Amino acid sequence: MKTFSIGGIHPNDSKISKDCKIEILPLPSKVFISVAQHLGAPATPVVKAGDVVKAGQVIAEPAGFISAYVHSSVSGTVKSVGPRKDIAGNNMTHIEIDVEGDEWAEGIDLSDTLVTAIPEDNKEILEKIKLNGVVGLGGATFPTHVKLCPPPGKKADCLILNGAECEPYLTSDYRIMLERSKEIVVGAAIMKQVLGNCPAVIGIEENKPEAIKAMTAAVSELQSAGKAYSGISVMTLKKKYPQGGEKQLIDAVMKRQVKSMGLPIDVGAVVQNVATSLAVYEAVQKNKPLVTNVLTVTGDCLPMENQHNYQFRIGMPLSYIAEHAGGIPESAVKVISGGPMMGKAIANLDATTVKGSSSLLYLTAEQTVRNAETACIRCGKCAEACPMGLEPFLLQKYARNSMMDELEENAIQDCIECGCCLYSCPANIPLLDIIRIAKGDVIRIIRGRAAKK
Amino acid sequence: MTTTIIWTIAIITILGTVLAIVLYLVAEKFKVEEDPRIDQVESVLPGANCGGCGQAGCRAFAQFCVESEDMDKCFCPVGGNDVMQKVAATLGREVAAKDPMVAVVRCNGTCENRPKTNEYGGHQSCRVKAALYSGDTGCSFGCLGCGDCVAACQFGAISMDPQTGLPVVDEEKCTACGACVKACPKAIIELRNKGRKNMRVFVSCVNKDKGAVARKACKAACIGCGKCAKVCAFEAITIENNLAYIDFSKCKLCKKCVAECPTGAIHAVNFPVLKPKPAAPAPVAAQNPAPVVSSEAEGRVEKSVEPIKKEE
Amino acid sequence: MEKILVSPSPHLHTRTSTKSLMRDVVIALLPAVIVSVLFYGWSELLILGVSVASCVLLEYLITKYMLKKSCTIGDMSAVVTGILLALNLPASTPWWVVFIGAVVAIGVAKMTFGGIGQNIFNPAIAGRVFLLISFPTYMTDWAKPQGFIGQSIADAFTGATPLGIAKGAGAEAVAGMDYSDMLFCNIGGSAGELSAIALLLGFAYLLARKVIRPYITCSIIATVAVFSGIFWAINPAEYTDPVFNILSGGLLLGAIFMATDYVTSPMSNLGGVIFGVGIGVITMLIRYFGAYPEGVSFAILIMNSVVPLINKWCHTKKYGR
Repeated sequence: MKTFSIGGIHPNDSKISKDCKIEILPLPSKVFISVAQHLGAPATPVVKAGDVVKAGQVIAEPAGFISAYVHSSVSGTVKSVGPRKDIAGNNMTHIEIDVEGDEWAEGIDLSDTLVTAIPEDNKEILEKIKLNGVVGLGGATFPTHVKLCPPPGKKADCLILNGAECEPYLTSDYRIMLERSKEIVVGAAIMKQVLGNCPAVIGIEENKPEAIKAMTAAVSELQSAGKAYSGISVMTLKKKYPQGGEKQLIDAVMKRQVKSMGLPIDVGAVVQNVATSLAVYEAVQKNKPLVTNVLTVTGDCLPMENQHNYQFRIGMPLSYIAEHAGGIPESAVKVISGGPMMGKAIANLDATTVKGSSSLLYLTAEQTVRNAETACIRCGKCAEACPMGLEPFLLQKYARNSMMDELEENAIQDCIECGCCLYSCPANIPLLDIIRIAKGDVIRIIRGRAAKK
Repeated sequence: MTTTIIWTIAIITILGTVLAIVLYLVAEKFKVEEDPRIDQVESVLPGANCGGCGQAGCRAFAQFCVESEDMDKCFCPVGGNDVMQKVAATLGREVAAKDPMVAVVRCNGTCENRPKTNEYGGHQSCRVKAALYSGDTGCSFGCLGCGDCVAACQFGAISMDPQTGLPVVDEEKCTACGACVKACPKAIIELRNKGRKNMRVFVSCVNKDKGAVARKACKAACIGCGKCAKVCAFEAITIENNLAYIDFSKCKLCKKCVAECPTGAIHAVNFPVLKPKPAAPAPVAAQNPAPVVSSEAEGRVEKSVEPIKKEE
Repeated sequence: MEKILVSPSPHLHTRTSTKSLMRDVVIALLPAVIVSVLFYGWSELLILGVSVASCVLLEYLITKYMLKKSCTIGDMSAVVTGILLALNLPASTPWWVVFIGAVVAIGVAKMTFGGIGQNIFNPAIAGRVFLLISFPTYMTDWAKPQGFIGQSIADAFTGATPLGIAKGAGAEAVAGMDYSDMLFCNIGGSAGELSAIALLLGFAYLLARKVIRPYITCSIIATVAVFSGIFWAINPAEYTDPVFNILSGGLLLGAIFMATDYVTSPMSNLGGVIFGVGIGVITMLIRYFGAYPEGVSFAILIMNSVVPLINKWCHTKKYGR
């Protein structure tokens, strides 16, 4: 069984909500749609207070090359366009919409029928992906159409579909792989075609045997649907965090390693999440913009009946979802959006869902409160765990002394912020906290130097 | 016995001579020509190597002084005018005196004024905290309280007040090197003119939220009402992004704005305490909420903050 | 839930702590401790007690009154040092000598450098070597076992360790030794050198719990085997054989528990191998050509001093480079 070659850790996978079917959340009375739901420049709102919008209508346009369209997820009247606090408590422009009915914009196919015929014109496909605001749903929310257009002179050798879901607790990808397997395969076939018919590999970790079965069945069933569907395969991967990291997945599947500061396409790889594949399917085959996604509500302190996998619409307040799922458990001290390793702690529960929201995870004090930092005993467990082969103990020492040249020499810029070092440190040294900041500084220095040249 | 001693002395002498010659030759070969004035200038500098001048250290600054044509660009904030006079004398140049500066903390978000809305559990560093989120209070502009400025200060001039959770600058020790200004991710600390007899008036808030939002987060916030700007006769106060700013080069220390501020966000420090006039009613004090007065009552370090009721 | 907690990722943490790692080392040392107590009896118990108690007490006093830092005895590293020091001493060592060893180990080798994580030399070894040089008579007085079992076997070897015999009387004197004795039973020597099996049990436990990586230990043993193998092949009458060299003296104790001390060993696997080879070579050089019959402690101390260099040159293999 394949896996990445350096480091990695084995936290308990805690997929408590894996057997909860995807439920559709009812609409709240109001949604607040952020214009910054993607990596890159926040989109520019194109509606104003008083405008009547339909679900799926564009309400904000991209403000740069790396940016994305934002669509209304509901039908109703725009109440206001203005600053509102996001999950980190920082002000960001949100479009507030009063929900009235549920009417969708024209040209959107809301039926369940599977459309397997793929448009032949790749430009048309890319345009549809762009216009429907599809972004990567694996965490970074990088605009998908940009990723699917390799820079001139570079060619994709392999499309890797990330179904690893290596973060503990999260089950949303697992559920869509079970319930929407065929759509995901169609999405993969579309992206594969755009990339010049390279092979496609769907990587799934061994702890999800049913998803592996469902995806394998979907692939073989669709094989007959057309030429575009050949060359797609499912690969079982060992369970190890961070398998779903882009660079780790490329190493695991293709046995190639992306160079420092390089892009996956440099080694001929394009990695897309399975959820992104589903969004691509909906955008291209159904003309449906990315306004819904699946999120897991889970946590050890949450009773089984309150564990859910929800299909939500963007702009729903997190507090609304938490309330609908039966409230926040008494023993929870921290709520996380995303997985426990790389997710963000929510500072403001009134913040709303965005395209990339993947969970509401409740952690108890016992699970998450950090113990006091003690002296480094030089055990090297952080270096052993680091999937990039870095030496966090060294980096944090240099970082605390602002030794920028040494930091760059020791490749701090390669850090993927997976959290393995801090997770495994027996002395509770805040390795990643310190390294993350220094990494930003070093990358800024490197970029500054490159700009000068 | 004697031969041993003679031999020993002889060998050691020869060895010493040979090595001395080698050292001399090496020193000659790798000699670096340097302007002797750099050493002279360096000898009058404080030697703190704090980087407050913008150079890598005192020696780099000395070199910079020697090489630069214009003495206006060179200033050692730690040594101040005295040292700069000496530097100028060494180099045979003239230098204009600069006003002494001091670091000023522009946040009065004490635990009382600005209640916590969440608990921070990460590494105790303002930079880490600021990169993560807006902070553990409703105010996303104010002091984060992890003490990056304290760690940055080489002169021990800043300490955290455990009662307020805010940094306090010791004006005696502060050299205005600006290390804390650079360390603060929220840009709260500013180098301001030390002022006549250390008297200063400044807005102790950097919140750019709208008045209602700012006030909800912190009782002592500047709400950008503009009353201070109106009352100022010297056009020293500007309001931008719901926030007042006092230009210290224009401020004449009349303290009218201090009395006018409805939230007590404008602080006047180091003014002599006047005897309160018996007849003077305290209308301002009545509407002027606790922060300034109460903080004095608690015996905080900012004891020099003059209660506004004594102003009339 | 009163106030929501916010912190940077990751939000989970391993249950392994410095304390749990040290606890595992203590557990791994238990077989050796039990064997030593069984064979040497009350005197060994006294040494263990004095050593552990004085190490912990000294660390407590020094952190509290001299360094004025938060106390670090809770992490159990002083207990490990105490046990290791005791296992490195002959059972007949007087208690005050043990105490002096603890003072050197904790006071000089560990706390003067700033406490746990900062020391350059392994504290227990530093303590032992100090005693070996300062009190050679006590340190080479290999008393007969007076323990609860094993008196009969003890009759075979008294007054000297196998290495001591080899040093004094030549390799032939120990050629007839039964290796199963060395594996299981009393072979004369420091308390911790009694049974190779007990030490290997501990090694297996440490590996299973992922407390240590095998590189250092294995490279030491391999180097000793290869080095002595070559010499033994050339002249078996002059030099002792590899199995004897691995099983005798403090080699296993040192290779498993002392050389693998986190703080004083290299961090990378490659560095660990270099470190181990160095220890192996120096040990054998001392055993074959040096004045002392045993050289593991000196070898570890010498290699401890080059660890910073090894760390500087040996880095982990980085992704994509």
